[in-house]
Amino acid sequence: MTTAAPTAPSTGLGWAEKWTLRFAIVGMLFLALAGIEGSMMRTQLYAPGALEGFEQALSVLRPGGAAATSEDLYYAMLTAHPVVGIYGFAYLCVMGAFYFLVPFLLKREVRHKALVPVNFWAQIIGVMICWASGFFGLFNALYTLYWPLPVAYDRVPVVASVTFVVGAAIIMINILLFSFNLFSTVLSRSNPGDYTLGQFLRSAFGISRLMKWLGKEDKSAPNLDYNGLSPFIVAVARGSIDTVINAVVLLTAGVLILVYGLAALFGSSLNTLAVDAVVYKNWFWWGLDMVADGNVLMYAAGTWYLLVPLLVGRKLFGESVVRTVILVDLLVSMGVWSHHLLGDRVQPLFMRLLSGQFVTWGEFFTMGLTIFAALMTIWLARPVKFTPALKFVLASIFGFIMGGAAGLIQANLGLNVVFHNTQWVVALHAHTFLLTGLGSLLFAVVYALLPMLTKLELKSKALVNVHLWFWLFGSVTMAYAGGWSGVEGMLRRTIYYDGMYAAFQLAELVGAGLVAVGFTAFLVNVVWTLGWKNLVGLLVPERARAR
Amino acid sequence: MDKREKTWLGVLIIVALAVNIITLTPLVPWQEWLLWSNPTPTATYAIEVADYAFRFPSPEMQARVGEYVEFVATSSDVTYGFGVFRKDGTMVFQMQVVPGHENRITWKFDQAGTYDVRSTEYSGPRHSEMFAPDAIRVIP
Repeated sequence: MTTAAPTAPSTGLGWAEKWTLRFAIVGMLFLALAGIEGSMMRTQLYAPGALEGFEQALSVLRPGGAAATSEDLYYAMLTAHPVVGIYGFAYLCVMGAFYFLVPFLLKREVRHKALVPVNFWAQIIGVMICWASGFFGLFNALYTLYWPLPVAYDRVPVVASVTFVVGAAIIMINILLFSFNLFSTVLSRSNPGDYTLGQFLRSAFGISRLMKWLGKEDKSAPNLDYNGLSPFIVAVARGSIDTVINAVVLLTAGVLILVYGLAALFGSSLNTLAVDAVVYKNWFWWGLDMVADGNVLMYAAGTWYLLVPLLVGRKLFGESVVRTVILVDLLVSMGVWSHHLLGDRVQPLFMRLLSGQFVTWGEFFTMGLTIFAALMTIWLARPVKFTPALKFVLASIFGFIMGGAAGLIQANLGLNVVFHNTQWVVALHAHTFLLTGLGSLLFAVVYALLPMLTKLELKSKALVNVHLWFWLFGSVTMAYAGGWSGVEGMLRRTIYYDGMYAAFQLAELVGAGLVAVGFTAFLVNVVWTLGWKNLVGLLVPERARAR
Repeated sequence: MDKREKTWLGVLIIVALAVNIITLTPLVPWQEWLLWSNPTPTATYAIEVADYAFRFPSPEMQARVGEYVEFVATSSDVTYGFGVFRKDGTMVFQMQVVPGHENRITWKFDQAGTYDVRSTEYSGPRHSEMFAPDAIRVIP
C-alpha cells in the first residue's frame, strides 16, 4: 500500500475537470444502483418469494402498491435495470470522459459550455423518470419494447408507459445535444484545423480513405484521416453517428408509444395491428443495436487507441489499419441488427443469414484487428509498467473477447435456435461486454484521468488490485454460471418456481458479491484519493463559488 | 499493411470461414431441414396464443421419431415465444410468435418421449406462467 500524502490537498479543480468528475461520480452511483437491482433480481430468481417482506415494505411508497405482485415488481425492475446501467452509468461516464478528452486532445474548449451541465442534469432526470416509471408506476415492457407490448394496457400500466417514454425521450434528446456539442467542438472555428462540416463528416465516415482505395483521392479535400485528427477523435465521431441514429430511432418508437398512450388516457383505443410488429422490430433493433455494435464497440476501440499509446509510451501499432477499421465498422454496424431477429421465422431468410450472421461476423474482423493493434502496441513497448489503467485496459480487452465470442455463437442461424433468449445471451454476452469489457474500460479511463484532472496520486495500489481481481473474477463467475444455465435451457426474463436452475443462480450471486467487493474497493480508493474537501467542492455550483 | 497484421488477418479469415461453414452445414443437425431442404411435413399443428395461454390442437400434438412435423403459431395480442424443451429443461428448438403473422417451423424429433412447451419471449408480468408440460408426444 502506498501513500502519496497524509491528507488529500485541495486541487483547485478547473471547470472542465470538475464536470468530468461529476459525470463520473454520478455514473458510478448509477452503476451501484444497477448492481443492487441486479442482485435483487438474481435473489428472486434463486428463491422466488425471498424478497416478499422487502417488497411489502417498499409497497408503502407506491400508489396502489399493495396490489402489485412479485412478478409486477420483478419485471418493472428488469425494465429499469438496463436504462440505469447503460444510460445512467455508461453514458454519464462516457459524456464526462469525452467532455474532457476531446477538447484536451484538440487543445481547445468545449464549443457550447452551457450544454455540459444541461447534459448532466437532463441525463440524470431522464434516467430517474424511467426508473420511477418502474419503481412507482410498475412499467414492465422491458427495454426491448416489442410491439405491441408497451401499448398492451391489459398488462402494462398506461400512465407509467407514458412517463417512461417521456423519460426515454429526455435521454435521447439529451444524447443528441451531447453529440451535437461533440461535433461542434471538433468543428469549432477557433481551431487551427478549421474543418467544415462536410470535411469532418468525410473523415468520420472515412470517405476520403475509401476514395483513396478506389484510386480516386480528391486531393483538394483535406483528408482528415491523415492530417491531424487522432484515431480517438475519429472513432468518437464515428461512434457518435451510431449514437445519433440510436437516439433518433428510439425517439420515433417513443412517439408511437406516446400517441397510443395519450389516446388511451383520453379514452380512445387505437388499433395495435395497424403497426406491423415485424417491421417495427426491424426498425427498433436497427436503432437500438447501434448502442451495442456501433457505439459501445467503437467508443471502446477509440478509447483503446488513445489510452494504450499514452500508457505504454509508444505510437499505436498499425494506425493505418485502425483507420480502415473505423470505416469498415460503420458499414458493419449499419447492417447487423437482424441477429436479434434470428428467432423470428417471419424475418426473410436472406436477412437472417446476411445481416444476422454474416455481417455480424464483420465485427469479428473489426474488433479482432482493433484488439490486435492494442495488444501489439503493448507487446512492442516492453518492458511496460502495469499501471492501474493498463491493468484495466487488459481486463477490458479480455471482456470484449469473451463477450464477443459468446455473441458470435448466439448470432448464428443454426445455433440461435437453442440460444435465443436464454441466459447465455444476457450473461455470457451482454453482461460480459458491459461489466468485464466496458466497465473495466471505464475504470481504466478513471484511473488514467484522475491524476491528470486532480494532480493527485491514487492512495492505494493494493485497493486497485483488489478492485481488479474481484471485479474480474466476479464478473467472469457471473458470466459463466449464467452462460452455463443458458446451455441447460434456462431462459432470460423467466422466473422458475421449481428451483430447476437455483444452483446457477447461487453461483451468479457469489459472482455478484465479488463484483461488489471490487467496486467498493474502487470507491474507497477514489474517495480517499480525492478527499472529502474536493468531493464536497464538486457539489458547490460554480455561481455560488464565484460569489 | 504490416506482415504481422496480414498474418493476423489471415488467422481471422480462417476462423471466420471455419465457424461459418461448419455451422451452416448439417453438422448442426437441424440445418439439414431448416436451411438446406424443404421437407414436406407429415403433420401440421396450429397453435394459438393469446392472453398468456397456449391453445393447442386436440387431442394432442404427436410426432414420430425421424418424421417431419410443422408447428404454425399465431398470436392475437402480443409477441410470445414457442419453445420446445426436454424433460431435463434443455431446449430442443424455439421461435418467436409475432402477432399478425403465421410463424412456422418444421422439426424432426430424434428421441421418443414427451416434451414441454414454454413461451420463450416476455409478454407481460405473467409470462413465467406460460408453461405447458407434456404438450408434445413423440413416439418411436
